[in-house]
Amino acid sequence: MNHVIIGNGIAGIQAAETIRYLDPTAFITLFAAESHPPYCRPMISLMLEGRISSDRLAIRNPHFYDDLQIRSIAGAYVTSIDVDAHAVTIDDHEPIFFDRLLIATGADPRTMKIPGHALNNIFPMRTVSHVENMLTDISTARHALVLGGGLVGFKAAYGLMRRNIPVTMLIRSEYPLSMQVDDIAGGMILDRLKANGLTVRTGIDALAFEGDSRVREAHLSDGSVLACDRVIVGKGVQPAVGFIPKDRIPVDLGVLVNTNMETGIPGIYAAGDVAECIDRVRQCPWINAIWPEAAMQGRVAGMNMAGRTVSYPGSLGRNVIRIFDLDVMTAGLINPEPDDGYQIYSRIEPRLPVYRKFVLKDNRLLGFILINRIETGGRLVSLIQRQFPLSASEMGILKTL
Amino acid sequence: MKQVVVHPEKCVGCMQCMTACATAHSVSLSLFSATQEKPLPKPRIHIGASLYGRGFPNRCRHCDPAPCLLACLPGAIYRKPATATVLINPDLCINCASCAMACPFGVIRYHEDNWAPPGKTVAIKCDNCISRQAVGLVPACVEMCKSGALTFEPVAEAQNRKTREITQTIWPEPVTVATGKFDGFELLQAIKKSQHNLATAC
Ligand SMILES: Cc1cc2nc3c(=O)[nH]c(=O)nc-3n(C[C@H](O)[C@H](O)[C@H](O)COP(=O)(O)OP(=O)(O)OC[C@H]3O[C@@H](n4cnc5c(N)ncnc54)[C@H](O)[C@@H]3O)c2cc1C
Ligand code: SF4
Ligand code: SF4
Repeated sequence: MNHVIIGNGIAGIQAAETIRYLDPTAFITLFAAESHPPYCRPMISLMLEGRISSDRLAIRNPHFYDDLQIRSIAGAYVTSIDVDAHAVTIDDHEPIFFDRLLIATGADPRTMKIPGHALNNIFPMRTVSHVENMLTDISTARHALVLGGGLVGFKAAYGLMRRNIPVTMLIRSEYPLSMQVDDIAGGMILDRLKANGLTVRTGIDALAFEGDSRVREAHLSDGSVLACDRVIVGKGVQPAVGFIPKDRIPVDLGVLVNTNMETGIPGIYAAGDVAECIDRVRQCPWINAIWPEAAMQGRVAGMNMAGRTVSYPGSLGRNVIRIFDLDVMTAGLINPEPDDGYQIYSRIEPRLPVYRKFVLKDNRLLGFILINRIETGGRLVSLIQRQFPLSASEMGILKTL
Repeated sequence: MKQVVVHPEKCVGCMQCMTACATAHSVSLSLFSATQEKPLPKPRIHIGASLYGRGFPNRCRHCDPAPCLLACLPGAIYRKPATATVLINPDLCINCASCAMACPFGVIRYHEDNWAPPGKTVAIKCDNCISRQAVGLVPACVEMCKSGALTFEPVAEAQNRKTREITQTIWPEPVTVATGKFDGFELLQAIKKSQHNLATAC
């Protein structure tokens, strides 16, 4: 069997390992646009923080591809898929044929097409090269601007603050991490960031950048001008589907897959940030672009590609973040539509501070937010994944947690 | 291979295993001196409330596959097949708590430890007392537990014993099922009775 995998992120790597485990003789080819060996993408923000160097990012040993007899083609960007011929092409290359194909191309940062966006010192933050670029002459940084208060914008701001660089963050909502937390938790996070020196401006965006070759100032939507010598754009990500023939392989926001991680075309699979599968608590197609889901989807795709039919019950959004001395864990549905039959239990002890919010429907746990004392939060994740109504004693756990 | 087997129905909630565990993971290995150590040694077994309204000795199950191992970002969590133990490398741990979100049993804690680099907060959990096992000792919690809630034995053996025990409570002696028109009723009585016995035995 001839397997081709596009992308050497965690989804692609897990799939390759799984295929090799189940089929010692399979032929596996892996294309990787980034020439770095497999690395831990979430940890690039620790590099920005200065907590680790790039040599700590590797997630497999240097001989990984040879050990598993995987033909890896690094620095190769796949430009098209020929569904009928069962082949992928790279610029100026012979087509490469496959029996089974995995699309594990992850996501690309959303760009801002505003005047001055191509000036130097305006960075996205998705790859290790992005962070390496940010770190060249970081010691000269005087004022950084972070656009967006999502997970990446937040991590960028946090990393720069840890380097004692003054940071201004522009966010559209009233508090950062608005996809991950509710207003109460968001307020607690915001207070903590401000107390540690972050300037946050809400309901505002950048309209243009100016500078000679490097960015010098940003013009904002309220008419003000902000001096800055570094800009980090954290405007979310987009599944990397540009090279996929959408008239043949069904694509919504991401590549649509069934419970076997197979796309609309038999033999072609997708996994990770690029794949759109059922969300466990929303029960509709959704992308939960997080590391543990990418890893699990890669494994499931690999098993199915190797001929072992395994189904995947859907993805669950979840995150755990430590912000100075505040620990935050969230999962599933945390801001449900009001009046839709949801049971919401919340509790706040502002002095500690501790905050809990649980969202249930028909006694099934659908989501939670924990601020501080998060050690046993994994039990709640497993209760969401189980999707049985909670027993009386399990309800008790929610009250004492 | 021997494993620590938990019998929650026998736990009386005395928390002696916690003390034994903390002591076994101290520098001095003695209870009295351990209380003076910095960082203060902490237990890796936790007594929580159980369905039985008593204690429940909650410790790492050393799962296979282990959700925490799959979730760990820097790859600090690994398996030692010789003792079927899931371990955390404190040098690699970045204290991100991804494992807290992954562990369905909530058995990982985050603090300084004398096995970790000084001043570094790391993820800490049960290590099956591998250093005690290496010198022929059983895990400290098992040695301490006097109520039989923790045993150290091959899992298959524990399972077989449990199956035998349960069978005994259901049919302590051969059951004579009366013939006649009340057959079904008799059988139902027998089952009800054994269920009652089982519930009160726990
Ligand atoms: C700064 C940052 C912090 C994060 N923090 C967290 C966190 O704390 N927790 C969490 O759960 N998640 C976090 N994430 C998200 C997490 O990193 C992703 O969900 C995960 O990496 C997705 O893995 P993947 O394999 O699907 O895709 P990716 O890791 O994006 O890998 C896809 C690979 O495919 C390559 N590729 C793309 N197109 C092609 C092509 N046409 N041909 C060849 N190769 C191609 C790409 O170059 C890339 O190397 C973070 C992400 C970032 C950027
Ligand atoms: S820490 Fe939790 S998930 Fe990891 S092996 Fe132990 S019980 Fe399993
Ligand atoms: S806290 Fe440490 S052991 Fe746990 S997932 Fe993070 S790095 Fe791994």
